[in-house]
Amino acid sequence: MKALVVDDSLTIRRIVIKALGLVGITEATEAGDGQAALNAMAQGSFDLILLDWNMPRMNGIDTLRALRQAGHQTPVIMVTTEAEKSRVIEAIKTGANEYLIKPFSPDQLAAKVKNFLPAAAK
Amino acid sequence: MSTVRSMPVSERERPPGSAPGGGGPSVDVSYINAFVEAVGHVFETMLGVHPKRNALKVGATAPDGLRLTSLIGITGKVHGCVALSFPPDTAFRLAGKMLGAELTSANAEVIDAISELVNIVAGSAKAKFNTDPPLQLGLPTVVEGTSYRVKYPSKSVWLQVPFSSDAGDFVMEVTYSRNGG
Repeated sequence: MKALVVDDSLTIRRIVIKALGLVGITEATEAGDGQAALNAMAQGSFDLILLDWNMPRMNGIDTLRALRQAGHQTPVIMVTTEAEKSRVIEAIKTGANEYLIKPFSPDQLAAKVKNFLPAAAK
Repeated sequence: MSTVRSMPVSERERPPGSAPGGGGPSVDVSYINAFVEAVGHVFETMLGVHPKRNALKVGATAPDGLRLTSLIGITGKVHGCVALSFPPDTAFRLAGKMLGAELTSANAEVIDAISELVNIVAGSAKAKFNTDPPLQLGLPTVVEGTSYRVKYPSKSVWLQVPFSSDAGDFVMEVTYSRNGG
């Protein structure tokens, strides 16, 4: 299973990748902003995207919108400091499949990711 | 629990010089609780560090010695700035905990880690203001230096909240005011 981890913070990308390892996902590509994420999507396929909201160049919600408008159905977990209810609703309406508010523990992230592992679909 | 260790600020603790209606700059100290609680929640969840809040101070002072300060702006119906100021060793320890590495210099990893800390603290606090539309955060910035003061173009004052923790002491500085009144 391949994950795309999109966050402008190197620290968060590392924390997310480490948490992905807890559920057996060891193949992860990093992107530092939405534009880099779209570039990565154009060059390869992913099974899961973990997407920050506030990033330079292109933010997460615009990235999500662009992905869905382009027909990408890859599950997206928003991982963000945006905790207001209206933000969560906006993300879900735009096409996010899950939402995790920072701060989070590795176990909390792993629990969200488990919903998208192949075994969870069976 | 974070709410015990990072005990909320009460009106009785209003620091001298911050009283409303006194003719000078004022600040509603109740707002500071959102930030104090955010520090407790963020540090415990992401770092396993238990910060203890110490007595509130008013005004931006320039602590002695080298400091690393990460700061971020907040805009919207409330606007202001939040800063976390660390002695280098504390910053290294906290960044090391986040990254699972031993860090001994103010390299890109440390800068990124303390940037993200202030970003998450501000994000966690801003949700408690519950404004519509939600407040917006800028991108974090880090300043490194000795004996500097952070200033913000506002009539409001800086509140300083010193914390002690098992990873070392640090200070949160916050200034904010409501737009339109």
